[in-house]
Amino acid sequence: MQEATAPSSTTPKFQPKKQKRNSELKKRLWRNKWLYVMLLPGVLYFIIFKYLPMYGLVISFQDYKPYQGITGSEWVGMEHFKRLFAEPEFFNILKNTLILFGLNLFIYFPVPIILALMLNELRGHFFKRLFQTLVYLPHFMSWVIIVSITYVMVTMDGGIINELLVYFGFNKINFLLSPGWFRPMYILQVIWREAGWGTIIYLASIAAIDPGLYEAARMDGAGRLRQVWHITLPAIRGVIITLFILKIGHVLDLGFEHVYLLLNSMNREVAEIIDTYVYTAGLRQGQYSYSTAIGFFKSVIGLIMVMLVNRISKKMGEEGVY
Amino acid sequence: MVEDRSISGRIYAAINFTLLAIIALITVLPFIHVVAGSFTTNAELAANKFVLIPKVWSLDAYKFIFSTNTIFRAMGVSIGVTLIGTLFSMLVTALMAYGLSRKDLDGRKAVNFLVVFTMLFNGGLIPTFLVVKELGLIDSYAALILPSAISAFNMIILKNFFQNIPEGLEESAKIDGCNDFGILFRIVLPLSMPAIATISLFYAVTYWNTYLTAILYLNDSIRWPIQVLLRQIVVLASGLDHSSTLDGTVPPPDQTIKMAVIVVATLPILMVYPYLQKHFAKGAMLGSMKG
Amino acid sequence: MKKRSFTILLTALLTFSVMLAGCSGGNNSNKATGDPAPTQTAKAEDKTPAAEEPTAITIMLPLNTSETPPDTIKKEIEKLTNTKLTYQFFPADSYEEKLNTAFATGSLPQVTYLKNQSTFVQMKEAIKDGQFWEIGPYLSEYPNLNKLKPEILNNTKVEGKPYSLYIGRPLARQGMIYRKDWADKLGLKAPANVDELFAMAKAFTEQDPDGNGQKDTTGIADRNELVYGAFKTVSSWFGTPNTWGTKDGQLQPEFTFPQYIDTMDFFKELRSGGYMNQDFAATSKTDAVNMFTSGKAGMYIGGSMQDIDSLNKDLIKNFPDAVLDTHSMVAGPDGKFAQWMIPGYNNLVLFPKSAVKDEAELKKILAFFDKMMTPELANMMFWGIEGTHYTVVEGKAKVGDNKELIEREVKPFKDSVIGESETNGMYESYNTLPGRIHAEELLKENVKVGVPDPTAALDSATYTEKGVELQQLITDATYKYMYGQIDKAAFEKAVEDWKSRGGSKIIEEYNAAAAK
Repeated sequence: MQEATAPSSTTPKFQPKKQKRNSELKKRLWRNKWLYVMLLPGVLYFIIFKYLPMYGLVISFQDYKPYQGITGSEWVGMEHFKRLFAEPEFFNILKNTLILFGLNLFIYFPVPIILALMLNELRGHFFKRLFQTLVYLPHFMSWVIIVSITYVMVTMDGGIINELLVYFGFNKINFLLSPGWFRPMYILQVIWREAGWGTIIYLASIAAIDPGLYEAARMDGAGRLRQVWHITLPAIRGVIITLFILKIGHVLDLGFEHVYLLLNSMNREVAEIIDTYVYTAGLRQGQYSYSTAIGFFKSVIGLIMVMLVNRISKKMGEEGVY
Repeated sequence: MVEDRSISGRIYAAINFTLLAIIALITVLPFIHVVAGSFTTNAELAANKFVLIPKVWSLDAYKFIFSTNTIFRAMGVSIGVTLIGTLFSMLVTALMAYGLSRKDLDGRKAVNFLVVFTMLFNGGLIPTFLVVKELGLIDSYAALILPSAISAFNMIILKNFFQNIPEGLEESAKIDGCNDFGILFRIVLPLSMPAIATISLFYAVTYWNTYLTAILYLNDSIRWPIQVLLRQIVVLASGLDHSSTLDGTVPPPDQTIKMAVIVVATLPILMVYPYLQKHFAKGAMLGSMKG
Repeated sequence: MKKRSFTILLTALLTFSVMLAGCSGGNNSNKATGDPAPTQTAKAEDKTPAAEEPTAITIMLPLNTSETPPDTIKKEIEKLTNTKLTYQFFPADSYEEKLNTAFATGSLPQVTYLKNQSTFVQMKEAIKDGQFWEIGPYLSEYPNLNKLKPEILNNTKVEGKPYSLYIGRPLARQGMIYRKDWADKLGLKAPANVDELFAMAKAFTEQDPDGNGQKDTTGIADRNELVYGAFKTVSSWFGTPNTWGTKDGQLQPEFTFPQYIDTMDFFKELRSGGYMNQDFAATSKTDAVNMFTSGKAGMYIGGSMQDIDSLNKDLIKNFPDAVLDTHSMVAGPDGKFAQWMIPGYNNLVLFPKSAVKDEAELKKILAFFDKMMTPELANMMFWGIEGTHYTVVEGKAKVGDNKELIEREVKPFKDSVIGESETNGMYESYNTLPGRIHAEELLKENVKVGVPDPTAALDSATYTEKGVELQQLITDATYKYMYGQIDKAAFEKAVEDWKSRGGSKIIEEYNAAAAK
């Protein structure tokens, strides 16, 4: 991000509005009138489809019954949150969620960046396009398909991988049922499905880099790796940080389907996460209020994390997401 | 770009190429399995599990899914919704993103924050349903588009890209008598083709994957997009629906049909990407104009 | 109205923005993007069904097939019942979401099918609150509806009153489907008791039943389900009560009975010996079935024995000489036979007061269902149109040869037929596969030794709130026990855990309800 060019004189950062001269503000508002018109459809959209329904969060504090409606349901205050925190498994579930998120953040997150850099280094349009297209394919396979293909490959009952292990004189490995293999399998599946797809956004920002910069670097005798390090990476830093901040918001929000499909009685101690717990404890039993309260808890934590990281990134001179 | 013909440069390129080739192979194998599975028989799939080249070829699965017009109709709906939805979403997203990308805009921080906020908090299915119902959108295709018209994520990314455009260009356009709309459509958008292509792809894929909103907002199955059909077959055939177990009187559909439907339902959206790819190369323009 | 003003506003906005996209320099001939908004206005039109002389009825139900059916059957039904029907099918997989949303927003249609027993449990509170019509007082006015079996209706009552019509199911269809050709080759008979069952699983694993010289077969192909997989059926053979049983004059959950432990031991031994698939705790139904139809396993236990047709179809493609048979009379260690039974229904139909405005309307709808319970219409729904989808042979329905046509036009309606053949008079199926004919006989035998779930008609608030969540504790402990990861003491600890986290309350509530 080259935000250094911002006309900082017109928007002083931490200066209270009162001190600004009114006429200057008015002038600026009038000058930017078309920009406000541009914002209008978007702002309307967010108000109507996002903020209007948010009254639904109220049911986190109620014993909501669909037939009584939000107005008629009984107010129970923090009851549902108390139930969640009193849950004997709660801290284990929280820990599992955080570990999986950590894997997502530290193992998965860099993969698309590296892959995008590698793809960008490919010479020759044909292979560049071919490989890009191939690595992006898995994104279109649903988790149901991915998990069932994985089952077929790793099952102890005739799966290829275990057959190979036996062939080479090793013991069979219980991939599906052992708590130890759950996390590696999970993150490998995430990488397999999403890494190629994740490159797209980086490739787009790499495409926007001025070729002249590379030219100049080559003149200076910089090798390919140095060019990647000194030109490509800094140029996409802004996007990386934005994506990082947005991802942090989903710290407790890993999605339900993938983990639920991998979950079984034997690996539950490591595989049960908040989203799968909500499904069993809340949704399958029609506990609207309880599920909403857990969602509310997830959101609050996510918001805190986003605000924190956003602030840090701004301190480091980056743009941040708001 | 100029080829690096030094020895180290060639080794570098060769290693890179080999690694990527392996990665590409790993990602594509399961897909080949699905395609192969769609061209064989259920019995062979059960016996050989990870089929890559069918021993027995069969077109029965395709004959079955194409024997009525259901899949064509659903595909038509999906293509229509994806095209119109992507265009509409891109328009409103670009307008908003551009507005917010301008640093001299008062209140942009507040709006930005409120947008990020919606990524974290949402009111849930029922209140959203009521809004859609109040707007009279139930049973209309608009219900598949309007409630998801702007993705906060996409908007923020696009805004990011817009911020990278040198402000000098905008200034000169202003001097030439363009208003902000003119600047956006004449200068900013043409310069942001890689970003536009990327975000359009994101929207297109989201619209293509529309599933739950279709079931919630559309009561008439005639309007359902392809994903409903796809998911229904996949879930039934995989035997993963935990709640339907002994109950059904209806045996699940064949695995081959499942695979054929995956192939048919995925091909159109797969074809979008190579088409958009060429815009990534065009991004080079930006740099040249900047210099 | 609101809709229109909104779309107009949006259209105006967009057109405006696109128009402004030019520069004041006078050159605004090329627009940057198309304007999609008008298309949306056109598509947002409402469709209002024309209400004519026939009764208009809207029916919402889960879809268990890949596609919604064409109008073929519906048109026939409309003709015969003088109705104008709107069937709203929704994928079974997401049916709960649809049901809950529609219910909470007051948009359920006149006739609402639930999905299964657990959606019924969820709805009970709303039923008690008077959100649905009580149909008890009217049933006697309708000769066919009046035939519905009282013992099954009883299972569907809420606070002693019937609110719903039921979709019937044979009480006990489960048993085992096994490779008779393997058994014959090894000189084994259908297992008469659990020891012989074990012996068969062992023999199928160790004695090379497929004769290919390799030890590549196993006994049982099971899946990740305690109830609908092999476990519950075998536990019932062992004499475990059905979900709940009476001990010391009190209702207690099945896992507090010694027979439950015996069953776990049985599976533990099967698994450690390699006589069943090792990954059964993570195996889906499809994968278990695949093991069986690809000749890797010789027994499939716990599913409906009627599934033998579809298993056979795939198996004989791989092994043309394979022979399947069904079996369910397996005696426990005490020499007694037993078979757990479902409450006799698969699904229920409710009539929301928000859609059915008055008694007159309800009566019209009930009259429709009364007609649907005549043999002519029940056959139409279950078997299709005679001559097109099926033929009658020896007083039974023989499915036609055009499987695709049946799959599309008839199957989606099958799971919606009210009652069962004894009450609605529809044809039983004409079977040719010996194993299937055997299965139908066994179905009748099963009921003779059937064990009902004593809590089927009872209510427990705690169960409704967290029964599923608590059951998870027991399910996990059961699997861990069978995999040898925990011992009996640890299992009993899990049971104590279940009790302290709400289980004791469930026991109390069920016993109180039973005492009434």
